[in-house]
Parts: sequence; structure tokens; C-alpha cells
Amino acid sequence: MNRFSIKIAGASGGGLLSTGDIILKALQNMGFYLVAEREYPSVIKGGHACFNITASEEPIYALREEVDLIMAIDSLSLKMYVDNLKEGGILVHGQERVIEGKEALEKAKAKGVKEVHLPIRTVALESGGNVLMSNVVLLGMMWKALGLEYKYIEAEVTERFKSKPKLLEADLRCLKAGFEKSEKIMDIKRPASVPKTILMEGNKAIALGAVHAGCRAYFAYPMSPASTVLTHMANFAAKTGMLVKQVEDEISVASMALGAMHMGTRAFCATSGGGYDLMTETVSLAGMIECPLVICIAQRPGPATGMPTWTCQADLDLAIYSAHGEFTRLVVAVGDPADAFDLTQHAFNYAEKFQIPVVLLTEKGIAETYWTIPMFEQEKIKIERGLVEGEDLKGLVNEDRFRITESGVSKRWVPGASEAYYFANSDEHLEDGSLTEDAEPSRKMIDKRMRKMGALLEALPEPEIYGEASGAAISFVGWGSSKNVMRDIIKEYAEKGVKVNYLHYSFVFPLKTEVLKKFFKENKNVHLIEGNYQGQLGNLIEAKTDLKFKNRLLKYDGRPFYLNDLEKFIDANK
Amino acid sequence: MDKKTRDELIAKADKLLKYETDKVITWCSGCGNYGIQNALARALVLEGKERKDFALFFDIGCSGNGSDKFEANTLHGLHGRIISTAAGAALANDKMKVIAFAGDGATFSEGVGHLVHGVRNNFPMVFVHHNNENYGLTIGQASSTTRLGAKMNGTPGGVSIEPINTLEFVLSLNPTFVARGFSGDVDHLTELFRMAMRHKGFAYLEILQSCPTYNRLTTEDWYASRVKYVEDLKGYDRHDIWAAKKLVQDMDKEIYLGLIYENIEKKDFLSLQTNREGVKTSLVEEVKHYDVRDLI
Repeated sequence: MNRFSIKIAGASGGGLLSTGDIILKALQNMGFYLVAEREYPSVIKGGHACFNITASEEPIYALREEVDLIMAIDSLSLKMYVDNLKEGGILVHGQERVIEGKEALEKAKAKGVKEVHLPIRTVALESGGNVLMSNVVLLGMMWKALGLEYKYIEAEVTERFKSKPKLLEADLRCLKAGFEKSEKIMDIKRPASVPKTILMEGNKAIALGAVHAGCRAYFAYPMSPASTVLTHMANFAAKTGMLVKQVEDEISVASMALGAMHMGTRAFCATSGGGYDLMTETVSLAGMIECPLVICIAQRPGPATGMPTWTCQADLDLAIYSAHGEFTRLVVAVGDPADAFDLTQHAFNYAEKFQIPVVLLTEKGIAETYWTIPMFEQEKIKIERGLVEGEDLKGLVNEDRFRITESGVSKRWVPGASEAYYFANSDEHLEDGSLTEDAEPSRKMIDKRMRKMGALLEALPEPEIYGEASGAAISFVGWGSSKNVMRDIIKEYAEKGVKVNYLHYSFVFPLKTEVLKKFFKENKNVHLIEGNYQGQLGNLIEAKTDLKFKNRLLKYDGRPFYLNDLEKFIDANK
Repeated sequence: MDKKTRDELIAKADKLLKYETDKVITWCSGCGNYGIQNALARALVLEGKERKDFALFFDIGCSGNGSDKFEANTLHGLHGRIISTAAGAALANDKMKVIAFAGDGATFSEGVGHLVHGVRNNFPMVFVHHNNENYGLTIGQASSTTRLGAKMNGTPGGVSIEPINTLEFVLSLNPTFVARGFSGDVDHLTELFRMAMRHKGFAYLEILQSCPTYNRLTTEDWYASRVKYVEDLKGYDRHDIWAAKKLVQDMDKEIYLGLIYENIEKKDFLSLQTNREGVKTSLVEEVKHYDVRDLI
């Protein structure tokens, strides 16, 4: 698979993101499929950050640790990332005096790296621009080094600065100077056609999924990497008419969402593990009063504050086992923006139909990573509320609300919609919600609520197989963003004539096992892939079945799985 | 109660009885909660509210144990969280009056952060603080409103720190409605409930409530001999926050009841949502697919 990768590195807040955006849009307009991940520290200014962009003519989903080209905005970037540059790669930089970066440059030279260098401040000033425009000079240099057609980057820079015509003129002169004064090193051809794609990051897809599902209230307390869900929801609010509210803490966030859901609207909230810790008592309440609730956990490495702006899959156990008492719940995990849009809608449907809390897991590496994906298919997933409505409201009696039924699911109606009323009681209760502490009724009520787990399990889709279903040289089972690296790896190894396949769980808990067992039966070398230390899904699978993984590929350093992580593991275990 | 109100209640006795439960009540005899629920039922009837028009939200404690003893739509939540839960409900359906009840622990310890922001946001709801100056259901520990020196479960030598002056605290948050009632004066409390229900923003109603089992310092008689009424104060301006702040300083000798402070100028939270200006529906009526093409 042909792909090329660029790492743009610089100080946090130094125009890195806007430069990255320009490159992404220009490449998208040329017809490339893209994956672009943001790496940054948990500071606003002064730390170091980068934008990793990989482009290909075919759909791609994951990144490689080594890149073809580094565009170093400052000297520190040279030092920090020179090791990420592959042998014979390209280093684009614009240092006027290379004292600080000297060692890095020598290192690069030893690796056969081709240096593309101009004194960018001088070039910017000579071209009639200002010092801030030196990044634009660098952009022109990089574009030329890759051998890309000038008109595409020119169009995107024009688009970006068109509201400031005077600056635009100078910016374009800087861009051109950078381009013309540099050497063409690679010769990347634009794809034969331009596919219809949208550039989408995980958190935005989740926000859009919630909007599409009819969510009318979003409550939040900022926490990386969930904060941008609030940003998107708030930016959408003028158009959606949604209530978007930042409140005092995560406890209140969950409580308000539950109160709103109880009354019959769809409400949503997103946080990270630490914020979710504070929400867990409300998750327990939702379990008890059988109130639908959807909470998104955008995972980052813990424990405690951990690494706020890095990625992991370490909160699966938290999602499954959090909150006191025993009750039915669903844990759903998104893998990329495309499935995030759909799974968020499913989360609301399952929450309402089964009257349960649903945890929607995402990861930093999905939340703020961009992919080019096909436009979302709307109204594919019908809104299913499981509410008694219309004429059926007339025949209700109070006891219908928590009626002991075979499936465990009782009728739910919006308070005030019927003459029948009920007590949504956090105390153990009878069928109308009246308190009870008697042994038999309380046991029966727990049985009822737990029976929903069986009904839910039956309703859930089985995990999905990527690659051929059977006879693989090596197989993997995983969830979340693992799907991305696996999709690329399956293709890569197929080209080498090695069969790799992957079983992916979107609906992680309760655990479906039929297809899993078949997968183990038909593949003899099955491994676990997970972004945590313990192998949490693996442990769940091994506890619930008599299956055993051959080996476990685990990663917990804050970084996503790269293609080279998989190559190393496969070559050692196939 | 005046004759007109009494006649109205007699005429609507069937509506009043609808809220009566046949379940065993679990409050001690002499508990202030009887009077409070009585006043609530009367106020709802007098305000012409049917079951479909209101929802009650209860925190944990003795007050919360009334959650299934009032035959209407209720939610019994988590300790300290009822303001948030009720606020979420009130924002979701502004066509139902949301009334929340909580004791000392929820209001001034466990959930005091939610109180601060509930008042500050001016959420469209009524909040009732049952102030019985102790934790009754956990058998008589001190609360944030227990008097200095009171010997309680867990503080046998007497409480050594001063109580919070509840209304002084609430008035510091620039509220829009602050009232105080007494569980021993049901007629007066009924009127306060009615005013609170008519208020558009966050109506804060404190009820001084006797706890015959655990609070032996500020008993029913103790309060009865000390309560005064702002209605009787000549020239008292309930829109003057400084007058209100001054009035609530005294917690020992002359304790004033009534609508102590009101600000009808400040908009409630929902009215401030510019993106929902002119929207007639409430959030519960709006769940459907929304086209996201314009948002990408």
C-alpha cells in the first residue's frame, strides 16, 4: 500500500494546528485518504506538539511510528523527533542558526536523511511577509520536497486567509518563495480520482451521532480528551436548538442528564475516567430506577491524572464494573469516526429500550484524530425509544412501570403522560416504585433487573470479523481503536501473502461469545490486542469461556498501536 | 387560613385526598414532615395543579422517605444530588413544575456545590430545604445547621463549631426567591409553597422543622415562641437584598418567616437560552432525527 507520512512538530500554540489543517485540507482536495493524529502535552503554551499526517490513495486507518518527512518548526523539534524519521527520510527546517539542532542534524545525516533547509525568517521578510509567516515558507518547502502540485496548497492557503486580503498576498509570496527555492525530493502523484469524503475526528462524530439521535441536552464538565465534545455541541447549538450546559462538576453532569432522561428527553454527557469516577453513583441510580442514561468515557492513561492528552484503552473494567450494586448495563466502544456516529445512536436506543445505563467508550487516539471517511448515512438507525405512547397510555396502571416481566423489561412512560404515575425510587421497591425491604419482593426485583442482561445479550449484534473468517496464520481479538491498525495490517500482510484476521467488539459488555468461539475454532493462532496493561477484554473472555489466547499484544505508554508494533508482534508470533 | 381559601379547599377535597397514601407512614409522631406534605398538597390543589402538571424530587433522609407517600410522580434520588437531578428534569420539561426536597446534609454538606450553582443558574424549579438541624434518619448526628454545643450522636461533648446561617449563605448567591416557613404553621407554609410554585426561577424555600426524636434544642415550642412574619414588618421591602440580609442574621430571638427576598427582574436559566428563543416546545417533545449535514 502506498502511503506517505509527515510529522509537523513545533511548540504548542505556535501555529502548528492551523498549518496542519491547511495540509490536511489540501491533501483531501487532491483525493488522498488521510489519518492525522495530534500529539500534544497538557499545557497551553511552551510544551511540544506535533501533527502526524499519513496519506494514501486507498483508505487507511492507522499510523506508522517512523515518518517520511519531518517539518520542524523550531530547533527543539529537530532534537525531539529526529529519531522518528526513517532512513533516507526528509527533514524540512528553517533554522537561521543551527547551534541547538546541530547534534540532531548530524544524527540525521548519519541516517542518510535529506535536509531541506532555508533561513525561513529571512525568506519571509525578503518576500514582504512578517516573521509569523515563516511557517508558510516552511509549508512551501515541504510541499516541494514531496513533489506535490503547487496549485493545491496555494488554493488552501488562499481559502484560509481570504478574509484578510493584504496578509493573503504576503502569505502567498512566502509560500511561493519556500516552494521555488527548495528541491523536489519525492515525486508523489495525486490520486486518479477524488473520492467523496469528509474529514472527521472522533469527538465530532460522537457529537453528531448524538444530535442525529435526537439528543436535546448536553451537560459537561471539561476534561481531556472529552472536552471537544462540549466545544462541538456548543458550536452546533445555534443550529440544533439544543440545550448545552457546562455545570459545576461531573456529579451534577450525570445527575442532570439522568433527570432530563427521566422526564423523557434524550440527554448526553462525555468525560474521561476521572470524571466518570464521580458519575458512578448516578450510574447505579440509573440501574435502580431503570432510567436510560448514556455516558461517554474518552479514555486517557491513568491512574489519577495520568497523561491527560495521551491515549489508552484502560477503562474497560471501569465501564463494566463501576458503581455499587448489581444491575444490567451495556458497554459500547467506538473505533473510528464512522462507527462512532452509528454507535452513539445505538447507545441511545439500547439505553431507552432496556432502560439501562450505557457507557460509550472512546479513546484520545480516536477523539482527536482525523480520518477521511465517507459522508455519514443518516436515518439508517431508527430512533427506538421503547416508550408507551399515544392510545396505549390510557390502559396503564402504576404497577406497570416496574412490573416483573419475563424479559425483565417493563413499560416506561414519560411522567405526566398518563394518569398512571410512579415512584422512581432509589430504595428497593415494588412494581409501582413503593419502597420495600422485604426479602422476597426485593429478590424478585433484583432478578427482574438482572434478567434484562439476558434480553440485552440476545438483542446485541455479534462481534465483526475483518479479513477472512478462518484459516489465518495469525488472528487477533480486540476492541476500540485496535480496529484501525488491524484493518491496515490485514491488507499489508495480504499483499505479502500472509493471512491475518481480526475479531472486533463494538458491543463489548455483556459479552457475546458465539462468533468468538467459532473464530477460535477456525483459527489456531489467536492473540489479544489491547491498549492496557492487564488485557482487560482478554481477561473477561478467558473468564467467561474456556478459550485461551496464545499471546497478548498490550500497549500502555500513551501511544496508539502503530503498524510497526503489529509487524514486530506478527513476525515473532505467526 | 381565610374563609375563601378554606371553602376552596373544602370544595376541592377530592383532589386533596388524591395525594393521600394508604401506606404506613414511617415518620415519628410529631415530625415536621406531616405538616410539610400537608401544606404541599394544599398548595398544589389551590394552584390548580393536577398530577400531570408537577413532578416531585426527593433527596435522601427523613424528608426523602416521603417520596412514595405522596401519590404523584416522584423520584427519590441520591444523597446530595437532588438539586441537579431536578434541574435536569426542569430543563427537559418546563411544562411540569419541578419541586425538590432535601434535608440539611444534602443542602449544606454533601450537595452544597449544587445548591450554589442551582441558585446561581436560576434554574426553573422550587427547592425546599427541610431544616431540622440534624441528621434524623442516620439517628441524630450533627448537621451544618446544628446549634453550637448541641450534644449529638457522634459529638457527645457537644458540637464545637458554629452552624451555617442558611439564608445568609443563600442570599450571598444573588438568588431570585428566598422564603422561610415553619412546619408548625401549615397555613402560612401553604401560601409560601404557592408563591414558590409561581416563581419562574429558582425558588428557595427553607422550612424550619421540628425533629421530636433527635433535636431537643430547637423544638416545636422553641420555634413557635420565636417565629415572626415579614408580612407584619411595616415597610419591609422584599426586593431589598440588604434588608433581607439583615433580617436573617438573627437565628435565636426573632426568626422571620415569609417571602424574605424576591427578584423578578432576573431571568431564569431557560429564558436566557438565546438559541431557544421563541421555541414553544420543551426538550421532551423534541426527540427526533436531526439532519447533521449543516454541522459538518
